[in-house]
Amino acid sequence: MIQNRLNDLCLEPTLSSPMVQTDLDAGILRMKGESYPENSFELYSSILTWLEGFLEAGAQPLQLELELNYLNTSSVRAMIELFDQLQAAADAGRQVSVNWYHDPRNPRAAELGEEFREDYSFPFAILALDP
Amino acid sequence: MSAGRPVQLEAREWDPASPGVDAERQGPTIDTLQKLRSFFSEERIMICFNGPTNQALIGEIGKALKQHITSTEGEQALAMDVFSVYIEMSQNIRNYALRQRYPEHEATATVVIAALPASHYSVSAVNLVEEVDGHALLQRVQSLSSLDKEALKRLYKQRLCHPDSSPDPLRGAGLGLLEIARRASSPLQAALDPERGGRCFFSLKVTV
Repeated sequence: MIQNRLNDLCLEPTLSSPMVQTDLDAGILRMKGESYPENSFELYSSILTWLEGFLEAGAQPLQLELELNYLNTSSVRAMIELFDQLQAAADAGRQVSVNWYHDPRNPRAAELGEEFREDYSFPFAILALDP
Repeated sequence: MSAGRPVQLEAREWDPASPGVDAERQGPTIDTLQKLRSFFSEERIMICFNGPTNQALIGEIGKALKQHITSTEGEQALAMDVFSVYIEMSQNIRNYALRQRYPEHEATATVVIAALPASHYSVSAVNLVEEVDGHALLQRVQSLSSLDKEALKRLYKQRLCHPDSSPDPLRGAGLGLLEIARRASSPLQAALDPERGGRCFFSLKVTV
């Protein structure tokens, strides 16, 4: 089978962009931090490309491990594109899930996760971290 | 040294009684500093920025703001609300100026954050806009003022799913304004101040 090799992503966090790390073998995409970059399209298009590549490459389950404290509106829009991809895969029978972690001292981060969850039917857990 | 009138250490090269062109201004005089201080105190201004912005500056001011509110109020939800309003407002202004290709001296923002009584904060900004855009912005702000939180959330979600891809110079500003309105504790206040050349200054004040 001829297949483009999919590489793992590893983006260092900055003040306005989250850490992004993928694990092809384990089927995990991790994001942690805050997201309000100048150009959210640039940041998220690499994540979206990886996600699409992973979903097309096989049938392995995918889990998103997200610990996002704050997203500006253009990052929210970009996350919706990621979740839409997950939903399409789930609808096609793929096993996908999201764990949304938040610091219990920041209720806004939990609410952000809840507002995303409302619009999707795949497993989406909102989990409080130990403070 | 005894307290009282500030002592001027250097001789003035510039006479404030006969102001010259702006380029010759040497910044605030020692006397003006005192006036600035008391003005800031009276208006409860905690952070004020006036000039060209960039992403790094927006981020650094935001970080300081968030840390300050978290430590003084002990409540992260309030800090995040103020932070979110500040970020959306600053990025809206910056994106607009970039899209309009304003040169640096016009791509400026005046951002003022004040600590109000009873754990409220105000985030305000003034920026240069084309007159037609200014009127459109005023209208948007007014149309949001009659909506309650539930209606704002519905509109926000609608806007998220149907992004505006038109070449409208205010593109994207709609979602940012909705986010700002959702975080506000009272209706947004906006005004236009006409400038020369078909432009105006747009002012927005948000209380959180």
